[in-house]
Amino acid sequence: MPPVERLHLDHVVQTVSVLESVVLRSFGPEGGQVLFTRDTGQAMLSRSGARILTALRLEHPLARMVVECVLKHSTVTGDGSKTFILLLASLLRMIHKMACKEPNVSHTYTSRQTAEASTARHLADNILAFALEELDDLIAMGVIPYGCCLSWEDFTAKKHLPGPSNNDCVQKLLTSFFHSRLGRSHCDFISKLTCELLTHWKFKRDQPSLSLEFVNDNLDALHTPVSGFPISCSRLIEGQVIHRDFATPCPQTEQKTVKAAVFSGYLQPKLLNAGQVLQLGCGEQWMEENSKNNRSIVQFSAWTERSLECVFANLQSLGVSVILSAVKQSAAVLSLAAQAEMCVVECVSENELSLFAQLSGATPVSDCWMVEPEHVATLTFCRPILLGAHRYVHVAFNDSEERVTVKPCSLVICGLGEGQTDQYTCAFRDAIRMLLSTWEPMGMTATTASKRTLQSTKSTYSHVDQIPNVPPFQQCRLQPGYVIPAGGTFEFLLHHALLQNGTSCSASDDTVTSGLAVSQLLANALLIVPRQIYSHSPRHFLQAQARFQTIIQNHSHPFSLVYKQEHRSIFGESAFPLEEDKLTKQADVSAKLFMSDSGLESVSCKYQLLLAVLQCLSSILHVDTVLHTHTALHTQSRRLANTSWEDTDDETED
Amino acid sequence: MSRLSTKSPSRCTDLPLDNADICKKLDLLRQLLRSCFGSDSDCGLFAAILCLSLIEQAKQSGLRGNVAIRVNKHLLGLCTSYLQGEDCGCKVKLDFCSSQSLITLARSVISSKPTCVLTEPETLHISRLAVQAFLLTVPCSSPGIVSLGKIVTVSVEGHGVLNSTVFPGVLLDMPDVFTIDKVETLPSDALRMVLFSASLAGDLSELGDGIIELHPGVDTDSQILDQLLELGKQVVKDEVKLFVCQKVIHPVLQQYLRGHGIIVIERLGITLMEPLTQLTGAQPVATLHTTIPAKAYGRVRDLRIRTFGSKTMLHLHPPGECAICTMILCHRNETMLSELKVVCQKTEHVLRLTLREPSALLGGGCTETHLAAYIRHKSMNEIPETVSALGCSQTECLLGVEGFCRSLEAVAAALEHDGRSSLMDLTHAHHWSHPTDVLTEHMGDSLGSCGCGLVESSPIQKWTYLNSKYPQFSPAPLSEDASVQPHVLDSFTAKLNALQVAVETANLALDVRYLIQDVN
Repeated sequence: MPPVERLHLDHVVQTVSVLESVVLRSFGPEGGQVLFTRDTGQAMLSRSGARILTALRLEHPLARMVVECVLKHSTVTGDGSKTFILLLASLLRMIHKMACKEPNVSHTYTSRQTAEASTARHLADNILAFALEELDDLIAMGVIPYGCCLSWEDFTAKKHLPGPSNNDCVQKLLTSFFHSRLGRSHCDFISKLTCELLTHWKFKRDQPSLSLEFVNDNLDALHTPVSGFPISCSRLIEGQVIHRDFATPCPQTEQKTVKAAVFSGYLQPKLLNAGQVLQLGCGEQWMEENSKNNRSIVQFSAWTERSLECVFANLQSLGVSVILSAVKQSAAVLSLAAQAEMCVVECVSENELSLFAQLSGATPVSDCWMVEPEHVATLTFCRPILLGAHRYVHVAFNDSEERVTVKPCSLVICGLGEGQTDQYTCAFRDAIRMLLSTWEPMGMTATTASKRTLQSTKSTYSHVDQIPNVPPFQQCRLQPGYVIPAGGTFEFLLHHALLQNGTSCSASDDTVTSGLAVSQLLANALLIVPRQIYSHSPRHFLQAQARFQTIIQNHSHPFSLVYKQEHRSIFGESAFPLEEDKLTKQADVSAKLFMSDSGLESVSCKYQLLLAVLQCLSSILHVDTVLHTHTALHTQSRRLANTSWEDTDDETED
Repeated sequence: MSRLSTKSPSRCTDLPLDNADICKKLDLLRQLLRSCFGSDSDCGLFAAILCLSLIEQAKQSGLRGNVAIRVNKHLLGLCTSYLQGEDCGCKVKLDFCSSQSLITLARSVISSKPTCVLTEPETLHISRLAVQAFLLTVPCSSPGIVSLGKIVTVSVEGHGVLNSTVFPGVLLDMPDVFTIDKVETLPSDALRMVLFSASLAGDLSELGDGIIELHPGVDTDSQILDQLLELGKQVVKDEVKLFVCQKVIHPVLQQYLRGHGIIVIERLGITLMEPLTQLTGAQPVATLHTTIPAKAYGRVRDLRIRTFGSKTMLHLHPPGECAICTMILCHRNETMLSELKVVCQKTEHVLRLTLREPSALLGGGCTETHLAAYIRHKSMNEIPETVSALGCSQTECLLGVEGFCRSLEAVAAALEHDGRSSLMDLTHAHHWSHPTDVLTEHMGDSLGSCGCGLVESSPIQKWTYLNSKYPQFSPAPLSEDASVQPHVLDSFTAKLNALQVAVETANLALDVRYLIQDVN
């Protein structure tokens, strides 16, 4: 009989609060680094919520479940891990308070705690259902009018436009991201560098997501970490860095262009593959029939050499002087290459070769006997580059027809040590993901997924395919690319919108799980974020709150009306008339001015974050028992066991 | 993996830098670093001491972590732009017309490693050799893109350091002494040589993973050997005098070649392959079945046997100009020798950096004191702008500046040992050392010259103790006097990088809010 641990609401609140207390140290403008040390001398310094939570190596199954949810969310959006925990803890505390005050009285329960758990579960489900239904509308009406929409075209268009351009907005968005991720000191520098990188990698006529996805997919090949240098030495360099050294001396050429070919296999043919047998010295008759000379092993190896010479003769006729190879070539290959004045780069990783192929437009050679002009890439140069302690191969590409706007460039990321460069790289990657989610049409992924989850949790034993009433997700109510000033603006605005919604929606139903209660609960839970941002001085929090109140009172009425009408007209049809969009943008200017100096946050990321938190909330409240299953070795300690959690939610709910 | 004992929970500490215990440890570390810091500064230690001083000063000042970080970062920006600027008073342009300043720079690096155990003349000897070797790797007459050559290092244990020397060209190990007689009879004009990169031991490694079945009467070994001897015949016919192989040569082939008066060297190793191809112009051969193309042959001039202790080596001179040289390093025992080797590599690196940035910083603590005086003056003049840019109060800003400057001065002061005290003059802000704590009227007589040796003491000069209050002033640049050369120079690039690394590390440490120790 495995030990059974019944989970009470107190435990859940406690567990999440512990996580919150760790994460809080690196949250907000006054937050800092968390240092992890081991007795083995290893140390890790981080400000990234996801990294801190992973490094904690938690034992409690519930805590692990929460961390899993956070990681799942942050791998998609690249952001929001710390806020995730904060919001979750805040919601749990509110639900706990409410459930203790008013445990579900409509059923008979064995204990008060079970009743509390049931109320809590009910509340969580209702909040989730409410959010899935109403949140996008509320954000569209209550938050969006105060934000502005980033357009990808403007961002990458021209840098020297007068006044605050879109580029500045993207940079501000990135600055806020890197501030929360790496600290204030370097956020300006890195966000500028990221913007520069993205401007270089802009594919014209394409969706923003294509450019971003390209950088995201190829970041491994596109960056070089260099340890032992200050971060300010990080820079962009033209072309691509191949993270290998030349295997043969690199001849210096004064030529304008260099021709290169990529080989995925061995140039020297293998005489015998595994499993093949070569018989030597068998019957004279057989020998004579086939070939008169093949009596010696030497003839066979001579054949491989001769065929290699043919390959090189062909390469020379095509003008190739650089060979990039995925594998380690034989000494004969290197020798013949040196004699043919070609340089060889061996063991190039798959990622780098595929990026090279994309940028150069040349196809990798699979059969060395068939090297054709389409396999030959034209480079503007190919030379050694010294980055930190390593010598690599640096290549640059000729401008091609298809990518007039793209200027291929690589990123050199410098940091004090390996741990630091690694974190900077992760931050870069996540910044790209964050931008991707910002421009991603909202509701496409997150909401669909969550609606499914909701259905399956409501009717506990039903399966996902049985979703009855949810129409296929067709209405995308929030336009992508919206940003809002950072520093709690989103939370203040949504708080207000939720409260207004609560008062308007229902006065009839007054139970704890009513629309009013749910709106209020969510509204109040949201305030944890600005409260923590201004944690160093509660006075500032109150000032900020008051400021937002005035702004909303002065602007909200006309704005929301205008917006509502527009909203209907716009969303009635499927197309978005651009003029109207511009109008809203202009009307927004006055509202935006008051916070022009703060950073920016993505509305889409915030929305996805909120939904993810609510889903996590609902799923952890559905756990009521933990079964500790033990393997033979783990009998000594219960806590240590390979714990598995089970959703043993078999109580009647509906 | 399973664990049988209970895992103990991690130990957590809030605001670890406010913790007295941790601060004590930091202080101890600082003391230790100080004790290793010699009069000729090393950039790693420089960075470490500066970093710890910055942390300590920030803690003492009681500034909020974020404010200290911002001020440090701002002041670092002032430092780097001043150091990189034209009118920097603690930077000297390196003069490549004379080797003197390069030797001074090399000496600073070499004497910063006491583990090499070098006497003063030995240090100077090695410094000169390092510069000589470096200059040999810079090609003189090649137009266009210049690529630096290579220094091959050979260590000889059990000999005095003063026996160390530098040769142009490459020296190869000659285990078989019996060929010496023949070598000495060789003419000294250009000789033909061949370089193999594939094994000539008689194995065929590139055949693949399949199985070869041999029928009775087939002797593959002799078939292969015959092929190798064919190669030998061609080499003899082409009048090759030196036969070098990266890997093993079949003894029969060796015998055959030697019989024809060819010098054979096997097992050269991968590291010498590139220098040798550059030196001789040979292209490594790895094909055994085709005739060696004429252009694959290389040339050497003037073969000579040299002996160092138990080592007998064949010295190959390049046929023309070549940027390859060999440094023979001698020392009394293995440990010191390996330290010496590392130091020489480091020196080479520092000297190479001067090609990109032909400047050096004044050593002996003068750069630090000068920089501290400059920062004090500069930031006092710009205080209103700084305060608004950093978003802190004037008091906070002043505290931050004071901490930063004191940290720089602390690095200079760390150069002094044996109870000597550190002073700074109030004209050029250079660093001086004084045996007693008494600031007398006639200090000028006992002080001699400043740490870097550029400023001579004079009666009109005024001094102040480091880390004492003094009226801020703009440090005066030195008059351009070609006759006075600094005694101690530090690498510009290395020190600038160390300065940035130190401040960035200190800022990271100041940003730590929480410490989680896994004690399992």
